Amino acid sequence: MTYWRARTNTLVLLAGAALAGAVAARDAAWLDIAIAIVINALVALSVGLTFGQAGILSAAQGSFAAIGAYTTAILTLKLGWSPWLALPAAISLPAALGYGLARLVARLAPLAVALATLTLSAMVEIVLRSWDDLTGGYVGLAGIPTVLSGHPIAFYALAVGLLAIAVLVYENLMLSRFGRALTTIRADRARAMADGVAVPGLLSAAFALAAAMAGAGGWLYAHYFSYLSPGSLGTELSISVLLMMVVGGARTILGPVAGAVILGVLAQLLPAQEVQGLFYGGALIVILLVARNGLLGLVRREGAL
Amino acid sequence: MSQGLIARDVVMRFGGVVALDGAAVEVRPGLIAGLIGRNGSGKSTMFNCITGFVQPTAGRIELDGTAITGLPPHRVVRAGVARTFQTPRVDLRATVRDAVLCGFYSLGRSGFASAVLGLPSVTREETRLREQADGVLRRLGLAALGDQQIAKLSMGQVRMVEVARGIAAGARYLLLDEPAAGLTQSERDVLAETIRVVASSGVGILLVEHNFAFVRSLCETITVLEAGRVLSVGTPAEIAADRRVIETYLGTEPAALVEAA
Repeated sequence: MTYWRARTNTLVLLAGAALAGAVAARDAAWLDIAIAIVINALVALSVGLTFGQAGILSAAQGSFAAIGAYTTAILTLKLGWSPWLALPAAISLPAALGYGLARLVARLAPLAVALATLTLSAMVEIVLRSWDDLTGGYVGLAGIPTVLSGHPIAFYALAVGLLAIAVLVYENLMLSRFGRALTTIRADRARAMADGVAVPGLLSAAFALAAAMAGAGGWLYAHYFSYLSPGSLGTELSISVLLMMVVGGARTILGPVAGAVILGVLAQLLPAQEVQGLFYGGALIVILLVARNGLLGLVRREGAL
Repeated sequence: MSQGLIARDVVMRFGGVVALDGAAVEVRPGLIAGLIGRNGSGKSTMFNCITGFVQPTAGRIELDGTAITGLPPHRVVRAGVARTFQTPRVDLRATVRDAVLCGFYSLGRSGFASAVLGLPSVTREETRLREQADGVLRRLGLAALGDQQIAKLSMGQVRMVEVARGIAAGARYLLLDEPAAGLTQSERDVLAETIRVVASSGVGILLVEHNFAFVRSLCETITVLEAGRVLSVGTPAEIAADRRVIETYLGTEPAALVEAA
């Protein structure tokens, strides 16, 4: 199958996730951690796409996840929708917002774009905190219906399925002319324009796709933990997925996923919550010294493909 | 309606600076035109006005009778005008074939959504574009370099790949920004031959160059810019003999300069 030979990232992910699932299934606590890691990995994958490929340093991926999570929570809790019916909405609302934001700022310098994403993230947080009637304000929303609640392994499989679809979509993108154009834009925007690429439009489409991935992560979060508050997802998640991306390697497709796994597992092995920040900082410095392109960048020097 | 890429009365002001002040240049299908002038004479600005990278303050740019003045760069490319860069910041790890494939971007028919979904039509299109890219490489004598990384090429080869990338999408006009800069004599000869091959297939070429000997050996017509205006237009022989050109651009001893270049 030449189709799958060109899409090894998706196959590697499925194999790794199956193995991890088989190990984690013996212990409810580890299965719980594995599910949280997969949700983080989905958001980390989205920041890998925006930064590693489109060159947009986004501090809003956690907020896109929050929008996805709140969308499904509100639709299921207040309007009685089925979670499955709310999934397309939880994906497309962040995508639409991401597209609109990127269309507005894609012409600006990279630093200005990064600041714009930070601004969006602050605005989302303000809306979530102050629109009491809809979002529950500071208290948040509790009692969000769960899906596949029979056995956590079923939910794990669902989360891995969504992550695999996201990796496949990302891989398809990078195998197409649009992927080549993104690579060119990152190296030299003028060169891409001379190839006939409408640069702001393509960057916006890639950014929207990444926001959709983050939205799917938010949907999983809402229906697994069944509780949401303004602090659940947001700026803190945006920063930690950036860290995962750097650790795993931004330019490789699976780098951010690997980063999510490594940091997620290590966080469990560490004793106290208080020293984790110190540990994260130390890990980051060591990795940047040893492997500037992240751990997967070290393994695979050939880049995104 | 006349066949050709024609810029007339082009004015470009950046704040108080007048970069172009009624400049003009013409490129005809299948012919090689040169655009020369001192640093700051407006060559690059003219180049950027034609390719849409800057919008001229006034003037008209026509492509085979249709105005393309002020179109964004990607629309100019789709209309059939390609350009190269003097020093492109290319991805050094990419292969030659991939670099040329980038030039096929505007020929792609599949949309973003179908690409992301990996539809069979996208895979078929990708296969077809790869075959076309190999065709372009063969035409320019670069077939053996297809799988080579850009980082391993000589400067001369990189410029040839840029030419291949420029004509990939079937451009009818190709604008080359100082293609001979930094090349050895033998590399320059190979490049000149490639440019002739491309022109003989009907592509109109505009060369922006410092190297007068290179321009003289290749071009049918030469336009000399000075302070944003056309100082002289003519055949290479006429330009080389033009007193004003000699005084302002070539220096007082044209023969010596041509030798040196």
